[in-house]
Amino acid sequence: MAEAKKFPFADEVVLPPELEGWEEMYAPQRLFSKDREDWEKRHFWYQDKIHAPEPLYPLDDIFQSSWQIALSQFTTRVFCIPPAQGVAQRILGCYMYITAVEPPPPEIMGEKAERFGKRVPYVFQNYNKLWDKWYEKFDALGKEMKALKVIKEFDKYVPEEEVIPYPKGYTQAYELIESFNNIVNMITKAWQWHFEYLNLAYLGYLMFTDTAKKLFPGIKESTIGKMVAGAEVSMFRPEEELCKLSRLAMEKPAVAAILKKDISVEEKIKELKETDGGKAWFEEFERVKDPWFFVSCGSGWYHYEGSWINKLDVPFSYVKSYIERLEKGEKIERSFAEISEERDRLVNEYRKLIGTEDDRKSFDDAYNIVRTIYKYAEDHLFWVEHWFHTIWFEKIREFGELLVKYNVLQNTDDIYVFNRFEVPMLLEDLATSWALGEGVPTRGKYWQEKAAKRKKILEAAKKWLPVPALGIPPEEVAEPFTVMLWGITSEKVGEWLKGGGGEVVTDVNEIKGFASSAGVAEGRARVLKLMEDVVKLEPGEIMVAPCTNPSWAPVFTKIKAAVTDIGGLTSHAAIVSREYGLPAVTGTGIATAVIKTGDIIRVDGSTGTVTIVKKA
Amino acid sequence: MGEKWIYWFNEIGQEYNNIVGKKCANLGELTKAGFQVPPGFALGVDAYKRFMTQTEATEMLLKFLKDFHADPHNVADTLKFEEASEKMRAIVESIKMPTDMEKTIKEYYGELCRIACCENVYVATRSAGPVSHPGQYETYLNVCGADDVVFNVIRVWSSTFNTRSIIARARLDLPLHFDPIGVAVLTMVDAKAAGVMFTVNPVNGDVAKVAIEGSFGYGEAVVSGNVTPDRYLVDKVTMEIEERVISDKGAEFVYNPDTKEMEYKELPPDKRKVQCLEDREILELTRLAKEVEKHFQCPQDIEWSISRSLPFPKNIFLVQARPESVWGKKKKESVLGKKSGMELLFERAFTPVKVKI
Repeated sequence: MAEAKKFPFADEVVLPPELEGWEEMYAPQRLFSKDREDWEKRHFWYQDKIHAPEPLYPLDDIFQSSWQIALSQFTTRVFCIPPAQGVAQRILGCYMYITAVEPPPPEIMGEKAERFGKRVPYVFQNYNKLWDKWYEKFDALGKEMKALKVIKEFDKYVPEEEVIPYPKGYTQAYELIESFNNIVNMITKAWQWHFEYLNLAYLGYLMFTDTAKKLFPGIKESTIGKMVAGAEVSMFRPEEELCKLSRLAMEKPAVAAILKKDISVEEKIKELKETDGGKAWFEEFERVKDPWFFVSCGSGWYHYEGSWINKLDVPFSYVKSYIERLEKGEKIERSFAEISEERDRLVNEYRKLIGTEDDRKSFDDAYNIVRTIYKYAEDHLFWVEHWFHTIWFEKIREFGELLVKYNVLQNTDDIYVFNRFEVPMLLEDLATSWALGEGVPTRGKYWQEKAAKRKKILEAAKKWLPVPALGIPPEEVAEPFTVMLWGITSEKVGEWLKGGGGEVVTDVNEIKGFASSAGVAEGRARVLKLMEDVVKLEPGEIMVAPCTNPSWAPVFTKIKAAVTDIGGLTSHAAIVSREYGLPAVTGTGIATAVIKTGDIIRVDGSTGTVTIVKKA
Repeated sequence: MGEKWIYWFNEIGQEYNNIVGKKCANLGELTKAGFQVPPGFALGVDAYKRFMTQTEATEMLLKFLKDFHADPHNVADTLKFEEASEKMRAIVESIKMPTDMEKTIKEYYGELCRIACCENVYVATRSAGPVSHPGQYETYLNVCGADDVVFNVIRVWSSTFNTRSIIARARLDLPLHFDPIGVAVLTMVDAKAAGVMFTVNPVNGDVAKVAIEGSFGYGEAVVSGNVTPDRYLVDKVTMEIEERVISDKGAEFVYNPDTKEMEYKELPPDKRKVQCLEDREILELTRLAKEVEKHFQCPQDIEWSISRSLPFPKNIFLVQARPESVWGKKKKESVLGKKSGMELLFERAFTPVKVKI
């Protein structure tokens, strides 16, 4: 295979003909453009498989465009990290590409340094207080969104009390438009807050990595991860709550028996409600549901993934397997005390190896800094991508239902094929038709045809394997989060280039990724492309998944090792594998494409290698 | 009998460095600290002195040296030193050991045989200078039987008259006829594998790692560099084997009972690229390395040997420990430059990340 020096530029990529018309789904600033060609070609773009592994539904793109602003501004305008600029996005063929913006001119770096010096130490010194404030406002924002009223149907006439004694002065037509504007504002704000301390948390982590590597040149990234990771983070709460519910069920054998049955969730709930014990258990379930089961069945980035609260068979199937394990006398909870003890042991033992008192002092100081703020990196994920997004998706469904009710759209989820600027057009169309009186048509047919066409394009895009990167690989990347967040390293780019730059190589027997959790395991592979496939998993298999998230946690008690396409050393799969002592290789890029269920594979979590020993 | 000149290993320690030589003192220290060292004893430098002065050895050597003239700084004279060495060694090795000394050594050897539950245990007679001169003097392996032990002790002594030693003394203007060293007599380990390990990664000075090199057979194969050993890198804290390089080891250094010589025996093709240690042995060696380092309070260079006949973990022996010579000698300096955490954070934030492609 030819080894290329560059990837194609955006305008050189040949898209499948079925994608014809994809551009109109996204706002013009989201696309590669002739007018910005010079700037765009100076940058190296790679597909963002962390946040957008699948084609982007236009309305789901609101998360992406929001983080482009939020992440970047905290680096460039708020905390002013001198040599770094933001991360820019472009959509090509429905997939998202990102780039670290080239460094600013030297005089800007100087200006930024001054501000950095004042603002950043303040945050570190006051972090605990700041976090409390953050949580308070974020919680309030979530509740505000939950309380947002979306009209269910239009009144034929405005009710009497809205006219007499004092006319309200505006109607449902305005309320509908306002409610969507409001929800867009709220999600945008949530994403502003998402990054409030994240850049600094990652910066702290990178600083501690540097420090540890200066003292111990051969220290593994996975060991540093273990030293920094917190045990009691919100991300693990959903799983914990399921464990508690399972233990609660064990107290009443009749309740446990119902939960273990092979019947639908609806039937289980019906049976539970027939007895006092069952009722009490279900009430407890309902009580912890918000916030802890507002957790996406996927990454939280796509509307179709669903959440535990609207896919109840997911939490119920976990409860079932926990009860079965409890009956066998197995332990289901992770021991947070043990995890913390092991972390403290690692830190202390390394600390003891340090040669001089001065270095020990610097090390302690560096460690305290990263420990202070790093929990933000772990906590925000649950609150934003899971809890808040679940609320958003529930609300957006209400808008979708309204549009379907009045024949503007055919299906509730069709709202997602219109972007955030287009949805107001549909809503205005509907509101206008109501205002105009009886018998006035909307452009429903037009919107519906558009929706049908766009769904076809998105389906076609799913089948297309996008090129991993665009443009000329740089010699230096100055944006400090690129390596850490997206795992873009020279090796990775080199591997992509081996495929000639234009295609993904899948005919291999060995794949490389991050050595995320040490140890070696060999066994049968189970490729889980969707959360729903989890039920097929047999104990002792090796999980191969695109990426995992908190809702997958219970899976880790069943498997022998984990392999993911996406995610670095601080990804969910990496963290949980280390805690369970399972070998893990993350961020392989291609594992789910190369490995088939039934293949015998060997996972070496110490070297980051996955070998296919025997093909199925 | 006058001053004490023979010691069991557990009677001596580092403070005996000048009395029994470095190697013996270290073996004694390891034994006393409770590490598993092959049973053995040490002949002090006084034993050498006794032998050289209570017999006609010194007199004969001086007589020979009277007519010996050569310039140690002149390479052309090397041949002259070689001839002299040959003659001097012949003189020393022809002399009978004083009877009381011979008797005592044989008694000590007898005790080693009793410990090993064997009529004539194999031992190694190893040189031990008070100052470390690696490879300068000689060592004899697989010595067996009381008479052979006595003779090989004399051979070790006579190795102070090998060519490189007398040239070295001549260059320093030291007497050529006398250079007291100690001798370690220790039970041979029937090694299935052996090698060395460092309590610091010799490549980059990482103090959190133990680097192990090993090969099949006796450790001389690794120490001499005659085979490419397997290499393992283990983290001291996580106890993970982070790197393993399994080499084509070619041959093993073993004892040939027919010729009674040590020799390199070619490994069968299916064994050459087999890992020479079990994982649990690698981890046990690492644990021992950490203990030894803790005992001596500085990075160590340790020789180890694994018996083929004993069960794990009793099969693991330490046969030498000395300060690691490269990183161990470096002055302990701050690598973080007394910076505070915030200063380190600034440093990080102001440095662009380089991704070389």
